[in-house]
Amino acid sequence: MNQQRREFLKKAGLGALAGLGAAAGLFPAFALEKTDLSLFSEKPVPGKTRWGMLIDTRKCRDGCTECIVACHHTHNVPDFGNSKSQVKWIWKSQYEKAFPTSSKQFQSADLKDRKVLTLCNHCAEPPCTRACPTEATFKRWDGIVSMDYHRCIGCRFCMAACPYGSRSFNWQDPRPGIKELSDTYPTRERGVVEKCNFCSERLVKGKLPACVDTCPEKALMFGDLNDPKSDIRTMLRTNETMQRKPELGTLPSVFYII
Amino acid sequence: MNKYISTLVAIVAGVTVFVAAWFFMQIGHGGAIPARAAVESAPAKAAVAGATPLDSTKCIAPTEYMKAHHMQVLDKWRFESVRNGNRTFVTPDGRHFDKSLNTCLGCHAQNPMFCFMCHQYANVKPTCWNCHLSPMETQK
Repeated sequence: MNQQRREFLKKAGLGALAGLGAAAGLFPAFALEKTDLSLFSEKPVPGKTRWGMLIDTRKCRDGCTECIVACHHTHNVPDFGNSKSQVKWIWKSQYEKAFPTSSKQFQSADLKDRKVLTLCNHCAEPPCTRACPTEATFKRWDGIVSMDYHRCIGCRFCMAACPYGSRSFNWQDPRPGIKELSDTYPTRERGVVEKCNFCSERLVKGKLPACVDTCPEKALMFGDLNDPKSDIRTMLRTNETMQRKPELGTLPSVFYII
Repeated sequence: MNKYISTLVAIVAGVTVFVAAWFFMQIGHGGAIPARAAVESAPAKAAVAGATPLDSTKCIAPTEYMKAHHMQVLDKWRFESVRNGNRTFVTPDGRHFDKSLNTCLGCHAQNPMFCFMCHQYANVKPTCWNCHLSPMETQK
């Protein structure tokens, strides 16, 4: 390198350093303050409950979509009118789609045409939470498989891992697809996965999930699966029930009466 | 002669960088300091529908602390309420608050520009309102 250029660079660098140093001295805001986190107390919460749902498909009326409408309105779920960008928290499936391994030989005509309400199963052994690289989805203390949308990076591993197709991806900004904004729950943004949250935001206020609350036929039942005296456990004891794809060992918390 | 010129050039370059750095640090600090929030004493009634009742009309921490650390407070609140289910925040003087953004908005949404004014002045662009409903959207 040219000796002159070297000298020039040296001096210019020194000058710049001196300038920055003087600037830092002039603006004391550069000094970082520490957060006093001792101001914020912490209280442990015992994880005793396991929320579960029982869906009586015999009572569920054909063509009725009240629970779906209520849920999707409450949670600001967008509707773009095409299946490619569809976002769904709760929806109706054909019986053989919901229970693909059940016997289809000499099936009753009623069962063949029956639509089954499907939603996130809030598995006790959720495969989606294992797939998530950022812990954006996780199993809560009360058995709900929850999402932290702030952390979701949109990799969609959880969608590949979920055997029930319960997760949807926001391919576009969901806001234009929401007809009427509800102030009960935030919306999502482009590039995050979303799914049913068992109405955890309603549970903290002591309310039942929106779908259970709105069902006109009382076909949905919600309760604590860990409490042997709860209504849902009584129903599970006295009725023959099914889970979706039990052979996978995900232990769903959503049960069905066929 | 040659050495004199090169030294002069170096000094001028250094001063130029210093002046340029000063200008760079002024970016985003151009406007006037925003006026104080219009509502000095917040009303007790929560502005956001569905928000939990507040224990107080006074903020959880002194204004100076909240100005500097509200983002850390919100981050910690989110972690504790979403991950641990610990939703109640107790201030050192014994008041209880729900750890929710709606708790803040219960008072601060009185002025729809509350967040916006300061963030614009400080030239920070948090993405809160990409998902959460801003006071400008809820107040109609």
